[in-house]
Amino acid sequence: MLLALTLANLKMILRNRQALFWAMAFPLIFVTIFGLFRLDQPPTINLLVVDHAQDSLSTALVKNLAGLERFEVAEVQDEERARRDVQDGEVGYLLVIPEGLAEKLATPGGNQPVPIELVYDRGSQTAAIIIGTIQRFVQETNQQITHAPTVLELKAVGVQAKNLTYFDFLLPGFVGMGVMTYAIIGLSSAMALYREQKILKRMLATPLKVRTFFAAQIMAFLGLSVAQACIIVAAGVLFFNGHIYGNFLYLLVLVVIANVVFLNLGFFVGAVAKNVRAADGMANAISMPMMFLSGTFFPKESLPGVLADVVEFLPLSPLLDAMRGVALDGKAFWQYPTELAILGGWIVVSSVLAVRVFRFS
Amino acid sequence: MTEAIEVEGLVKRFGSFTAVDGISFTVHQGEVFGILGPNGAGKTTTMEIIEGLQEPTAGQTRVLGMDTHRERAKVKERIGVQLQASAYFEYLTLTEILNLFGRFYPRHLDPGGLLAKVGLVDKAKATVGRLSGGQKQRFTIAAALVNDPEVVFLDEPTTGLDPQARRNLWEFIQAIHQDGRTIVLTTHYMEEAQLLCQRVAIMDAAKIAALDTPHDLVRRLPVPYEIRVTAAGSLPQDNLAGLAGVKEVAFDADGACRLRSANAARTLQALMAWASEKGVALAEVEVVPANLEDVFLALTGHQLRD
Ligand SMILES: Nc1ncnc2c1ncn2[C@@H]1O[C@H](COP(=O)(O)OP(=O)(O)OP(=O)(O)O)[C@@H](O)[C@H]1O
Ligand SMILES: [Mg+2]
Repeated sequence: MLLALTLANLKMILRNRQALFWAMAFPLIFVTIFGLFRLDQPPTINLLVVDHAQDSLSTALVKNLAGLERFEVAEVQDEERARRDVQDGEVGYLLVIPEGLAEKLATPGGNQPVPIELVYDRGSQTAAIIIGTIQRFVQETNQQITHAPTVLELKAVGVQAKNLTYFDFLLPGFVGMGVMTYAIIGLSSAMALYREQKILKRMLATPLKVRTFFAAQIMAFLGLSVAQACIIVAAGVLFFNGHIYGNFLYLLVLVVIANVVFLNLGFFVGAVAKNVRAADGMANAISMPMMFLSGTFFPKESLPGVLADVVEFLPLSPLLDAMRGVALDGKAFWQYPTELAILGGWIVVSSVLAVRVFRFS
Repeated sequence: MTEAIEVEGLVKRFGSFTAVDGISFTVHQGEVFGILGPNGAGKTTTMEIIEGLQEPTAGQTRVLGMDTHRERAKVKERIGVQLQASAYFEYLTLTEILNLFGRFYPRHLDPGGLLAKVGLVDKAKATVGRLSGGQKQRFTIAAALVNDPEVVFLDEPTTGLDPQARRNLWEFIQAIHQDGRTIVLTTHYMEEAQLLCQRVAIMDAAKIAALDTPHDLVRRLPVPYEIRVTAAGSLPQDNLAGLAGVKEVAFDADGACRLRSANAARTLQALMAWASEKGVALAEVEVVPANLEDVFLALTGHQLRD
């Protein structure tokens, strides 16, 4: 009986093309947007150079800068115009190299610093990084010239073997977010509809046990959530070069555990809402803020103090944390006892809530 | 033989509002029993308590000798339920729905046979949304029969149907009665109750106003018949009120006379004698029996439908 009802539920879910489309499309839209636009890669930096010196040293400096990743360097003659361009926000930065650079530095006793001028928009957010980079370059070049001894040399060693991108960080988030929204919105509106159409009451008139009814709904939706997770990950990995470094099966285990909570919330909303529209509204009101607060797009550590502590306890947060641990650090899901405990707590609380408020008519 | 249904002192309150006010009745096995009443009379509430879908505030209901609320599961196995204005899963076909509901019971009938019975074989692979109003109603009745129930509850099975579809459904209800099932139905339509039901409970404002066979309900009216008389010429009006059995005389605009009578046979005899004595050539004489609508009006002082 449980199997028959579960299969019937799955059939209904799959035949409700519109709802199914949104279930899949919603997270896939995000995958596509973030996959296409690669928001993780900082934009290129446009740098104009007016080189009044034109000596060996200045050309070396310009060449070095142009060789830098992300730097788009262009040499121009007209300083006035270049300054205006920065002022108007047409270009980000302008570097003005004074006349006779090599000469001045080579002059013995000429120890006063040589003014190399960097013009930039004070409002620019990347300015600090750029200034740092250019300063380092100028200094290095300076050192080479003056032959000042290098007392300490900092060697930057890249230890990040896996080149983790922002997209890799996002991908588990999309899985968690997609599964959550479909469970809460899909199940709650299905329940509200069944109640509105008296289908629940009709089933209550049969010997079907209430717990069998619940179990069949949950099994069907869990099955669907696994399919959903597979599709989202497949899309991310195959089309947008995303990576799952850990065990994919562990991800599915986490999805299934957390989805029990989301489904209970779906039952809860479906029971409290007066009709399908109200259920939709409430379900959105619950899942949308959670999607942002639990760190689907940004690490939730960036939230202000107390809020950051509170959101740890939203059911989506431990799911995303554990999923990222599995996906990015290759950990096992049982290495996240705190997260699992929070989810366990939610399963208990949400089950009680769902059973308490559920009505057949 | 145990009674199909026994209801004793049933009360249902919603807050301070009383929807069912201490009603009692019995439905015999093999009977078609009707509950006739206007909107809000308490028909659905009564049915749903008997079916075990709602809890009574007070009183008892038994189905086939089993207490609805103490032996709910057993009762549900042996009853079939059609709810007022309920739908079925919109993404399953008729066959799939019947199969699914059949699984809920230890014993169930084959979907093909059920659909054949209600003339929906060609719709077996359609979804409920594709059915017309009449087909939908027939399907909900087929679904109520999926467990081969002994007692079938039909809540307003023909409401919202056109006369043709309604007649079609009546035949079908008579057919499932012929299978030996007890049927309890609610209706707003007196002709439906009169045609289908062996006994009818007239319900109004949470109470049962009368319960009997349709024939006896009508016969017990003070004036169960109306005799409509027209003459070739004009009808002399004198002495008509004094004819045997006549309680009331009224004239229509076209000159036809209506005699309300307690006894049609005696009034007709007296009418004929009166006509030959007066030398009146009667054109038409028509005996119209009262109906449940009149019974309802006499019992409650208001019309069945407003
Ligand atoms: N859950 C409820 N809460 C409050 N009042 C209710 C509830 N259910 C029914 N009622 C009220 O009880 C009364 C009887 O309702 P019921 O549905 O039994 O009437 P009915 O005879 O079936 O009417 P209809 O012919 O319109 O179906 C109505 O006045 C209705 O408003
Ligand atoms: Mg009703």
